[in-house]
Amino acid sequence: MLYREAGQFKTTYAADQQLFPIRQDRIGVITLLLIAFIGVPLFASEYWFSAILIPFLIFFLAALGLNILTGYAGQLSLGSAAFMAVGAYAAYNFQLRIEGIPILISFLCGGLTAAAVGILFGLPSLRIKGFYLAVATLAAQFFIVWCLTKFPWLSNNSSSGVISTQQLIIFGHELKTPTEKYLLVLSIVVVLALAAKNLVRSSTGRAWMAVRDMDVAASVIGIRLMPTKLLAFAISSFYCGVAGALYAFCYLGSVEPDGFSLDMSFKILFMIIIGGVGSIMGSFLGAAFILLLPILLDVLLPFFAGLFGLPFSSATVSHIQILIFGALIMFFLIVEPHGLARLWQITKEKLRLWPFPH
Amino acid sequence: MSKKIGDVILDLQNISLRFGGVKALTDISFDVREHEIRSIIGPNGAGKSSMLNVINGVYHPQDGKIFWHGQERRKMEPHMAAQQNIARTFQNIALFKGMSVLDNIMTGRITKMKSNFIEHALWFGRAKNEELEHRRKVEEVIDFLEIQHIRKTPVGRLPYGLQKRVELGRALAAEPSMLLLDEPMAGMNVEEKQDMCRFILDVNDQFGTTIVLIEHDMGVVMDISDRVVVLDYGKKIGDGLPDDVKNNEDVIRAYLGAGH
Repeated sequence: MLYREAGQFKTTYAADQQLFPIRQDRIGVITLLLIAFIGVPLFASEYWFSAILIPFLIFFLAALGLNILTGYAGQLSLGSAAFMAVGAYAAYNFQLRIEGIPILISFLCGGLTAAAVGILFGLPSLRIKGFYLAVATLAAQFFIVWCLTKFPWLSNNSSSGVISTQQLIIFGHELKTPTEKYLLVLSIVVVLALAAKNLVRSSTGRAWMAVRDMDVAASVIGIRLMPTKLLAFAISSFYCGVAGALYAFCYLGSVEPDGFSLDMSFKILFMIIIGGVGSIMGSFLGAAFILLLPILLDVLLPFFAGLFGLPFSSATVSHIQILIFGALIMFFLIVEPHGLARLWQITKEKLRLWPFPH
Repeated sequence: MSKKIGDVILDLQNISLRFGGVKALTDISFDVREHEIRSIIGPNGAGKSSMLNVINGVYHPQDGKIFWHGQERRKMEPHMAAQQNIARTFQNIALFKGMSVLDNIMTGRITKMKSNFIEHALWFGRAKNEELEHRRKVEEVIDFLEIQHIRKTPVGRLPYGLQKRVELGRALAAEPSMLLLDEPMAGMNVEEKQDMCRFILDVNDQFGTTIVLIEHDMGVVMDISDRVVVLDYGKKIGDGLPDDVKNNEDVIRAYLGAGH
């Protein structure tokens, strides 16, 4: 009843093409943003910011980057963590070697460096597709991590490539508290997510999806495959690079190359598979599922164990947590192979008609 | 028919195409005149689709020359055909399954869009205006093909006949001067075929689009074509007005077999 677009008539194409054409969606998004920017800082504790919300937003950004490449442009990649590493180390080096460069410019340059590296490792996509391309991007994963360990210059000669990030100073003000860092990360993520939403509804996004769905037809229509694919690699890597810079500067403060391992790439890939391939909402839901669910289970399991008086040791709890987590992944993939975003979409379609079946 | 057929705009001379040892096309020459409906017919495997792929640059013939508006064409990539205003549909539907009807047809206008990805990301100025301006054109195509009711539907959910229509829409959105149709009526029932014929004739009549058509339904071909070329085993065995082709000995033999 609440979610119904009856009576919302579009009289211009502009009204039909706006970002959120349905009024309830607009209200929902604005409410969510208000909560994120104002409500959360008022109530959340320091632990929430530094252990849950900041990493969640950063991984949402990385998943968004991968979703642009894999979900929209159809190019499978296993190198997301490596591109995050490039972003982190590049931002560190820009900050280190250029006197007085603003931190946001460093992040931007980190993203652009990652984009350049992404284009380089995207070149094989012009010849190979699917799993074979995934193997080629796997090369990026190993090569970049090796590079960062091998060349001490990149980590300013620190042992085993560990870098400790510089202070976060924005307009002369140093960000120290988790709340401030959270607001910085949130602002960057919101801007980039809106940009991604705009990209995928424009002809850039249509070109990506055309290449994904049927590349021969796309080229016959006049889409040039090479620039289209490389642009997807560049923008995807840019997003991952910025996420990496935020990961180093706002989340951990000190990172090493091995931290950006294949495991992390897989984690990001699982986020978009579970959340929904080819959907911005999917990146959001996927990141939430993969990052927040284990934490939730961590809290809930001992609570229920206590409730029923079961003598669970903490080791048992963590085993059960992994069991339940794995079972839930399978459950959701069986219920809806297209991911949580599709479930959300189906729910919305049902809500539009509710309480009637048709 | 009262329409005016113009000069030769596409002239294919002695085209040969081989894949390894397989000769797909052997020494084929024919031309296409402006504003006409030119059909290519022939039994399965005769090389009809290969012929279309040669015309729009997907395949590159080993021998022969192609003249487009009097100019000899060098080796070209498929996207260049789109820039020269040649659009096509495919034998097996080649729509973008994950996208809505509207987005599919919008994609057909991609060569006409000038804004770059940064403008798209910011949704600012030129990007926004272009989106609106092209939407208006796309809505004209949607009106023309009578598919208003499904414009927001993902094409994967549509029945076959409508998908074929959307694919025609995507080709028309580019406002092509030449339209290559590869079996647009395959697998359709009589009503859908009649609709499709009507659309093809209207496109030809209202927009003056030159049409190169591959079709197996002889009734349709003989009714709507201005001229017909017949291929068999990669060779040309007939060329001319529909009535001439119908009575051509070689053509009858190819279709009905020897002994008749």
